[in-house]
Amino acid sequence: MVRHLPTLSIAMSVTSLALLLAQPASAETVTLGIGTQDTTTNTVTAGVVIRQLHLLEKYLPKDGKYSNIKFELEWQNFTSGPPVTNAMMANKLQIGMMGDYPLIVNGFTFDSNPESKSRLIGIAAYSLSGSGNGIVVHKDSPYYDLADLKGKLVSVPFGSAAHGMVLKAMQDRGYSSDFFQLVSQSPEVGSTNLQEKKIDAHADFVPFAELLPFRGFARKIFDGVETNLPTFHGIVVRTDFAEKYPEVVVAYFKALIAANQWLRDNPKLAAEKIQEWTGINKEVVYIFLGPSGNMTTDPTVKPALIDAATADVKVLQNLGRMKEFDPKKWVDDSYIRKAYAEMKLDYDAQLGSTKNYEISGEDTFCKKPIADPRKAGEVWVDDAGILPFSSASCTLGAYADFKAKGKKINVAYVFDTTRGIKLFADQAFFAVGNGEVAPFLLKKDAEAYAAKISGKVLGFDDAVKAAVSGGKT
Amino acid sequence: MSSPAILRQSEDSSMPAALAEAGPAPAVTPPATPPSFGTLALRWYRLNQGRLRATAIGIISLLAFLLVWHLLTTYRVVFFVRFTNVPSPLAVYASFTKAIHDPKFLLHILLSCRRIFIGFSLAAIVGVPLGLIMGRFKLVHEIIFPIAEVLRPIPAIAWVPMAIMLWPTNEQSIVFITFLGSFFPILVNTLHGMSLVDPVLVRAAQCLGARERSIFREVYFPASLPHIFTGLTVGMGVAWVSLIAAEMISGQYGIGYFTWEAYSLVQYPDIALGMIAIGVLGLGSSVLIRGAGHLVMPWRSTR
Repeated sequence: MVRHLPTLSIAMSVTSLALLLAQPASAETVTLGIGTQDTTTNTVTAGVVIRQLHLLEKYLPKDGKYSNIKFELEWQNFTSGPPVTNAMMANKLQIGMMGDYPLIVNGFTFDSNPESKSRLIGIAAYSLSGSGNGIVVHKDSPYYDLADLKGKLVSVPFGSAAHGMVLKAMQDRGYSSDFFQLVSQSPEVGSTNLQEKKIDAHADFVPFAELLPFRGFARKIFDGVETNLPTFHGIVVRTDFAEKYPEVVVAYFKALIAANQWLRDNPKLAAEKIQEWTGINKEVVYIFLGPSGNMTTDPTVKPALIDAATADVKVLQNLGRMKEFDPKKWVDDSYIRKAYAEMKLDYDAQLGSTKNYEISGEDTFCKKPIADPRKAGEVWVDDAGILPFSSASCTLGAYADFKAKGKKINVAYVFDTTRGIKLFADQAFFAVGNGEVAPFLLKKDAEAYAAKISGKVLGFDDAVKAAVSGGKT
Repeated sequence: MSSPAILRQSEDSSMPAALAEAGPAPAVTPPATPPSFGTLALRWYRLNQGRLRATAIGIISLLAFLLVWHLLTTYRVVFFVRFTNVPSPLAVYASFTKAIHDPKFLLHILLSCRRIFIGFSLAAIVGVPLGLIMGRFKLVHEIIFPIAEVLRPIPAIAWVPMAIMLWPTNEQSIVFITFLGSFFPILVNTLHGMSLVDPVLVRAAQCLGARERSIFREVYFPASLPHIFTGLTVGMGVAWVSLIAAEMISGQYGIGYFTWEAYSLVQYPDIALGMIAIGVLGLGSSVLIRGAGHLVMPWRSTR
């Protein structure tokens, strides 16, 4: 036994040496770093979904010049955009995703990088009306409108999409720059501070403006839709990588298209899986990414979004945070166009469309089909799934019915009557009267509408009772 | 203990004699003019030769550091470590000149200094006596030491959410984190100093009839002072280290916040400026503590 050992070890070292020598000739390993923001729900189809479903591996090129290249995927998760930019600058990441403001900062920062530039190559998700960002206050606070926050302490992560929303909202309303006491706090710090009532309001990006109310200590008093400036999360790539391996970037887009399809095929399952992967509650994921949700997952680079980016650049320039930067020159949609072409999809048709996928089907409570998805509602029943209803009053009626039958209900969704954004029913204000139940995000909108229909404003529980009794108060 | 007193007395007694001698003498030695500037300078130079040499070398090494940094960044050296996107000293200087004209920058620095001062003072006020008591009384040591050992390795940034919840205002939360940063080094070093006190000295004092209080004042405290000051110096350093984590809460002012904000807007020269400012302020506060140490322990300052 012992005598055989030396021969064996020599044989082994010879073979391993031979293997070592042979390696470079047979395969080259290229590391592709992708920076994701798992907790930022509207980037999940560009990040965590592709990773978990191994979609990129499926589409990576394997022939021609790639037959000898082995790609090693390195996924890194961050809670905000700037660290992604930092890692991309250091060439630790080649592809990254972030919100509109961090994206612009990314493009601008790369302008002074001698090795590589960055290009905006696609969109993870967008909201043309600017929903997703929002301002929340503590649920016990007496604030119901931005104007109530005059002179109050408001925190927002500086340099984020939410920061842009706050600045735009102030500009729209003609507030001076010291209208709020604006301070910079990351989502983690801001959330804790809000819970402890150490700040009066916190403005944040997806998903915090929905997540914090859902967790039960906050109330949203301002939604990005009021700024009416599109907001989006996009995908940037280092040009040195993209020029060397363009087929890989195309493969990434094929994976993204597949991920978006997976989401739309079964939004409930997707929301549950995304909760499992990212820790964001499925009910919150669904309000953004479900049908008629507040975010549209569409990878095409729409001109409206680039115009919004141009407006964002002006805001940053006015703050003295940026010099010259032209977003139009920074966009490169060649990779995504190629992916569409290779998958036999029509890029230009998708580019021209701003449709989201909408709630559809049959209302089983009021017994009629769903005609207008943005007037409809949904109830998430624990064992029966997510059921659509044709109107707010049908939704509340069905809710009461399920409750009476002793079913466990996760959450109910309705839509803001004028703005068309999806709301958690139990957080909404309802203008009830004249047989009508009209949900609103804002108390003042509900009051105005109630005055019009000579009804009154009710909270969720009273609105459910009113809906059961046929819309009378 | 009594020898200095005797010495002083003999000096005092010899003084009038010397004066008396010098009194009638001026006529004899007229060239008692003050020594020329040259000799004064020479004498001063001889006296301070060692210190001057250290200062000169220090300045040269700092300049060399700046030069190396400049060269590495201008030529964007990539040699395993990559300087491609590291801001050059000139870029940092440019953002410094911009910052120095901005009254906000001064406010950042002032507020940070105040937070460090309060947090550090509290840590010293609590940490030193606690260390002394823990060193003297075994029971106190046994009660507190395990808690301290568990809390000590927790990094400042992990304390951020707890600090927000614990204290009613943000300013208190920030001070609390800098307090934690400096508290443990001070406590541990004081304890260490106490454990090194020569038991012979304690027994001698006891034999001479000293009470507990006097033993504390005359033996334990002076004997552990050098270690206490080591603890204070280290504690001050860690207080600055924890500043960025602490000022993440502030959201408005502080040099740590300045650096953090520069990071979230990806402004590399400002990040470097913040880092250097923290470094310089840290150095300044260490010098202050060392100076205080020399004042309190004159018997050590000859070194």
